[in-house]
Amino acid sequence: MELLNISYEKFKLDNGLEVILHENNNLPLVAVNLWYKVGSAQEVKGKTGLAHLFEHMMFQGSKNIEKEMHFRYVQEAGGTLNGSTNFDRTNYYEKGPSNFLELALWLESDRMGYLLPALNQEKLDNQKDVVYNERLERYDNQPYGLAWELLITNLYDINHPYSWSTIGFADDIKSYSLDDVTHFFKKYYSASNSSLVVAGNIETDKVFSLVKKYFDEIESVQDVTHQIESQKELVQNKYITHEDNVQLERIYLSWLSDNVYSKDDAALDILSDLMAGSKNSRLYKSLVFEKEIAQDVSAFQFSGKYGGHYTIVATAKPGKSLNDLKSEIFKIISEIKNNNVTSKELKRSKTGIKSSFVFSLQNLESLADHLNLYNFYLDEPNSFAYDLNRYNEVKREHISAVAEKYLSKPFVELRIIPKGKKNGT
Amino acid sequence: MELDRSVKPSLTSEISFNGPACETFTLDNNLDVYFIKKDTLPIVRINIVIAAGSKFELADKKGMSNLLAMCVDEGAGKFNSLELSEQFDLLGTQISIYSNSDTIQISLQSLKENFTKALKLLAMILTEPHFKQKDFEREKRNILTKLKQLKDDPDYIASTSFKFHLFGDQSPYSFPVIGFKNDITRITNKEVISFYNKYILPDNSFIIVVGDTSKNALENNLNKNFSSWSPDNSNIEFHSTEKNDEKVIYIVDKKDSVQTEIRTGHHAAGRNSKDYFAKHLLNTIFGGQFTSRINLNLREKHGYTYGASSNFNYYINNAYFAVSTSVGIENTANSLNEIFKELEMLKDGITEKELEFAKSSIIRKFPLNFETYGQVASNFIGKVIYDLPENYFDTYIDNITAMTIEDVNRAAIDNIFPDLTTTVLVGDKTKITDQLENFQFGDVEVVEKI
Repeated sequence: MELLNISYEKFKLDNGLEVILHENNNLPLVAVNLWYKVGSAQEVKGKTGLAHLFEHMMFQGSKNIEKEMHFRYVQEAGGTLNGSTNFDRTNYYEKGPSNFLELALWLESDRMGYLLPALNQEKLDNQKDVVYNERLERYDNQPYGLAWELLITNLYDINHPYSWSTIGFADDIKSYSLDDVTHFFKKYYSASNSSLVVAGNIETDKVFSLVKKYFDEIESVQDVTHQIESQKELVQNKYITHEDNVQLERIYLSWLSDNVYSKDDAALDILSDLMAGSKNSRLYKSLVFEKEIAQDVSAFQFSGKYGGHYTIVATAKPGKSLNDLKSEIFKIISEIKNNNVTSKELKRSKTGIKSSFVFSLQNLESLADHLNLYNFYLDEPNSFAYDLNRYNEVKREHISAVAEKYLSKPFVELRIIPKGKKNGT
Repeated sequence: MELDRSVKPSLTSEISFNGPACETFTLDNNLDVYFIKKDTLPIVRINIVIAAGSKFELADKKGMSNLLAMCVDEGAGKFNSLELSEQFDLLGTQISIYSNSDTIQISLQSLKENFTKALKLLAMILTEPHFKQKDFEREKRNILTKLKQLKDDPDYIASTSFKFHLFGDQSPYSFPVIGFKNDITRITNKEVISFYNKYILPDNSFIIVVGDTSKNALENNLNKNFSSWSPDNSNIEFHSTEKNDEKVIYIVDKKDSVQTEIRTGHHAAGRNSKDYFAKHLLNTIFGGQFTSRINLNLREKHGYTYGASSNFNYYINNAYFAVSTSVGIENTANSLNEIFKELEMLKDGITEKELEFAKSSIIRKFPLNFETYGQVASNFIGKVIYDLPENYFDTYIDNITAMTIEDVNRAAIDNIFPDLTTTVLVGDKTKITDQLENFQFGDVEVVEKI
């Protein structure tokens, strides 16, 4: 599909910063997207959530930019901005009218090179409070909000960095010191540990000079090595029951799988769609539509640079037993293992995936982020067609093979049940 | 030459941007169509907007509109529920049908190559729905379970309780769109079908199409597919009664919660009021952005919350102003106190600097509002629904530019009433009530979830 052939130019500055430029003149907009190759996988135990804390500290001003002015300058220029953190990376991004590009580069480069001179205890204490409230709002005070954390802490080995969530444990969040923050910044936030995408209504040559102007002088770090434990298999099934402020019981089944862009990754994505991606998907049709024992069901392959896991989640209808849901789920898994995926099912999934690739090109910010993503994982920014082709190449027997390979392994079973129900009340 | 980083780079010349052009035409069955050509990608998006929202429900039939939206695509034309869904999947088309207070909206996004086929399926849903009893029963059970689940969601409880207490039980806007358990239980399939017959009509609807097609092709295509959807010339009346504002705080008890969800606000003038642009600037300064007054206060200064915002919310026949946030439960009263202080301070006026910032942000951001096909569609839906002037998008920037500090300060006096706020706090009441006693907030009432 020619549409998915996204042209770009890539350079590397002397300090190691990778720069990827994509010209797209549909609208007078530009997107700036900066990836730091640091995520929660680079954290150490006792200081979990530190990478995510930076997603906050990076908006607290730097040497030449007062607190709050980062937001203010971008918004004043008509731009939008944010950042996000996952296991493998942290990204920061701005999108705005194309005349705001130099402003965005000035802001991004100042906090890359000169965050520490503006860092102080007061800012840190304030953002620790904000992050702690973010944790309360998004995890602790959310129905089923602790499920993800409970799953990964039990699924991954205690020494594997995917065994904690990016927000970090509450006690760790409270423990960050200025030293922790400074040390982490010095190690990971530098030109040589990041890649910058500028996409939109630009002239490549001019933008390249602008990038050099603002980023050339920024230092590179010598050593970002961080020992990452390899994924260890679960030896046996783990069963966890957790009480929460919920009305309905929910079951999570999770198996360790494989890394992102590994051989089986795409087949596992398609398996998820066949299982729970539509009304006709196997689990939805059986549990929700026909038997009505579940209110909802989902299935997904989560995969990162250092590991992955496959998860099925289903919420029981009132009065229905999680045991019934579980046995139906395993029955359907065994049918898939028995090689009975139809070509119509596969066509349905592949058509949906193809459309969603085209739909995703609507948003310049998402396009810019994908250029960085492909560059990070595949060392080739223009991998849209390659990525889609991974799905197109999946055959029926692959689906059964990955179901057999991964969903036969030991798993973590988490049940979240209403408070007071554990003791049979 | 060394770079002087202390100097903020100035913007290169201002961008000039014109909103996309819209062509309108009327189908043979009186259905109005608004077409915005956008061919940067081979995508066509269609939105059908039908005046059939929950505000039209009878007093003891709360949930009817949502139930209809859930049932209408459970089989249509020659396909049963599963087959119909599969047909869309095989085209890679995304479709969603949902109901809000004013309307039922159907949106469909398709690759250009499959649009005609998708349109045919869409027309089946509108004109030949099956409404089988079995499907109706299943969807009803689904909604009743959903209703039970929503009791867990503090954000949902806060928003629905707030609207209920603000509008009062006589207003059709005070009820959650999903409806009430007792009403839903009683609604019959036959009643859903009558609601469909009464409201799902072309003369009660309009269509927005954004995408890679031409006006002629689209017009033919739509006429061909929608010809059997006949008008009824029904004259649908709608009445709304509102309760007067008074300052009250309601606590909705949620045992063991670690945060308090806060909503506070009051009625507001409608979307078409003359001072809309002044209010928009006012809200941008007060709570519409990250750097707005209340977020900087509650989050960046005090660390009480992950975020705080405010909005003027518009319905077709009504509007309200509200501040929303969720805070660590120990800071409930402190946060509320800061919110009230900030509301009071609006009477002292805003600064020139704040105004310039808000104007600059809104004006320069304008092109970003037309990036995705969905954004374009939703902007034009707003224009039609609120009956905005023909040249609304063309004059938007001029209208914002023309606002003076006096206009915005006048808007604050005319539209912000701290003494008339309805407040809802959702959290553990044993941890909240004592805190409130240290402040003079007025009447406090502990209420049940609605």
